[in-house]
Amino acid sequence: MSSVRAQRIVFWSIVVFDLVFLALPNVIIVVASFTSGEIIRFPPEGFSLRWYAKLLELGEFQDAMLRSLYVAAICTVVSIPAGTLAALALVRYRIRFETALQVYLLLPFTVPLIVSGIGLMLVFGAAGILGRLWPVGLATCVINLPFMIWAVSASVNALDPDLENAAANCGAPPTHVFFTVTLPAVLPGVITGALVMFMLAFNEFIVSLLLTDARIVTLPVRIYNSIRNVISPDLAAVSVVYILVAIAAVWLLDRLVGLDIFLRSR
Amino acid sequence: MSSYRASLILRLLDGLEAVRAALWPTGAARAVPYVFLAPAVLLVFLLALGMLYVGDSSLRVLDRSTFQQSETYSLGNYALIAERTVYLRILWRSLLAAVVVSLVTLALGVPYAYVMVRTASSALRKLLLIGLFLPFLIGQVVRAYGWLIVLGHQGLINSGLGVLGLGPLKLIYTYPTVVVGLIQYMLPFAVLMLAPAITAIPEDVESASDGLGARWWQTLWYVVLPMAKPGLVAASVVVFTITLTDFAMPEILGGGGNDFIANAIHDGFFAVSDAGLGSALAVLLVLIGSTCVTVLFALLGTGTLGLKQRGTA
Repeated sequence: MSSVRAQRIVFWSIVVFDLVFLALPNVIIVVASFTSGEIIRFPPEGFSLRWYAKLLELGEFQDAMLRSLYVAAICTVVSIPAGTLAALALVRYRIRFETALQVYLLLPFTVPLIVSGIGLMLVFGAAGILGRLWPVGLATCVINLPFMIWAVSASVNALDPDLENAAANCGAPPTHVFFTVTLPAVLPGVITGALVMFMLAFNEFIVSLLLTDARIVTLPVRIYNSIRNVISPDLAAVSVVYILVAIAAVWLLDRLVGLDIFLRSR
Repeated sequence: MSSYRASLILRLLDGLEAVRAALWPTGAARAVPYVFLAPAVLLVFLLALGMLYVGDSSLRVLDRSTFQQSETYSLGNYALIAERTVYLRILWRSLLAAVVVSLVTLALGVPYAYVMVRTASSALRKLLLIGLFLPFLIGQVVRAYGWLIVLGHQGLINSGLGVLGLGPLKLIYTYPTVVVGLIQYMLPFAVLMLAPAITAIPEDVESASDGLGARWWQTLWYVVLPMAKPGLVAASVVVFTITLTDFAMPEILGGGGNDFIANAIHDGFFAVSDAGLGSALAVLLVLIGSTCVTVLFALLGTGTLGLKQRGTA
C-alpha cells in the first residue's frame, strides 16, 4: 500500500510541476500586459489597460493580424477537401504503391520546417509569386497537411463500411451515400483537423518569416521583429490575443468533438 | 419547413449525382481513390519540387565578384562547410539539445500522460487535457516571449532573487535557457504521442504486477514502460527531430550566440547572402535528421509511426 502512495507522490509532483511549467510563460504574459509602467518588471507597477488601448492605435499590428487570419483561412479551406479525400482514399480503397504514397504524403513531417520553408521560397521565387500573401497560406497548408490526413483517417477507421453498403443497397447513388453517410460520419475528424490546421497556420513562424517581406509580415513575424528591438508591454498585449484565440479553439474543440478523443488508443 | 429543406437537399444531391454520372461513368470507379488523392499529392509536390531546388542550389558555388551562382555543379559548398569547425560546433550543440530535450520531455511526459489516462476523475482529466492543449495551440514566438519576461534581466526570477538580495543572474541568451524553452515547447507533443499508448495497456496487468509483490518503480520499469514502447518511440522521434531542426527558440532565447543548424541555414541565405552555402547546410540537415531517425527506428522499432498501423490497409 505504501508503494502505491509513493508512486502517487512522485507522479503527482511531476504532474504539478508540468502544469506550472506549461502555464508559466503564458500566464506571465497576461500579467505583464496589464502593467501601467513603461517597461515590464516585477512586481508590476500597477494595473491598467493602457497597452490594450495602445494596441488599438497600432495599425501595423492589426494589419499583421488580419494577414495571419487570411493565411490561416486559406490553409484551412485548402486542407479540408485535400486532407479529407486523401484520408478516405488511403483508408477505404485498395491503391497501388500505397506504402510509397504514404511515405510521400508524410514528407511535410520528415523534411525539417526550415528546409521546407527554403524550398518553397525557391519554388515561389521561380514562379514569381514570392511577396504575395496567398502562397504563404498554401505553404502553411502543405507543411501541416499530415495533421489533417491523420485526424480524418481516425474517423474513417471508426466508420463501419457496412453503413455505406447498406445505403447503397437501399438504392442511394454514390453521391448521396458520400454526402449523407460518409461525410457526416467523418465530420468529427474533419472538424478536429480543420481547427488544428487553422491554429497552426495562425501561429506559423519560420515559414512565414522566409516567405514574407516587410510589406506583408504576418503576426508572429511582426512580434518577432519587435522582440529584437525592445521588450515593451504592448507586445504582451498582442500576445494575449494569441492566448485568447487558443482558449477559444480549445473550448470549441472540446464542445464539438471532446478533447478525450486524443486519449484513444490507435 | 424542415421537410421542405430535406427535399431541397435531396434535389441538390440529385443534381450533383447527375453531374457525377455525366462526368464520371461507373466504369471509371477504379480511378476514384486516385482522384481523391490528387489534391494532396499536388500540394506535397510543391515541397518535393522545393527539395529539388535546394539540392540543385547546394551544388552551385557563389561567385563573389558577380554575386551569381555558378552554372556548373561542384561540391565546393560542402567542402567549405567541412573546413569550418564552427559548423561542427553548431551540429554538436543541436544534437546535444535534441538528446537532452527528448530524455527530459519523456521523463516529464510519462507521469503526465499516465495520470491523465488513469485518473478516475473526469474533471481532473479535463484540466490536464486543457493544460496540454492550450500551450500546444500557442506558437513558439509567443512562448519564447513569455520566457524572456520570466528570465529576463528585470524578469520574474531576477526580481525574486533581488528581493532576497541575490543576483541578477544572466539567464537569457544562454544555452540552458534555449533547452528549457524547447522542453516546454515539446512537452505537449510528447504527452499527445504517449497517451494513446498508455490507454492501450490493460490496468489488470499492473494490478497483477503489484499483486505479485513488485514495487511501483519495478512495475513502471518492467511492465508499463515496455508496454508503452510504441508511444515512447513515437514521442522520442518527434521530439528529437523537431528539436534538432528548430529555429525560433535558439533564435529568440539564444540571442545569436547559441545557433542551431536551422539558424545557420537562415544566416547562409540572409546574413551572408550565399544561397548555395545555405542550401548545402539544408541538405546536410535533412541527411543528418534522416540518419538519426533511421538509427532510432533500428534500435527501438518503428512504434506507432510505422506504416502498417491501419487495420484496413
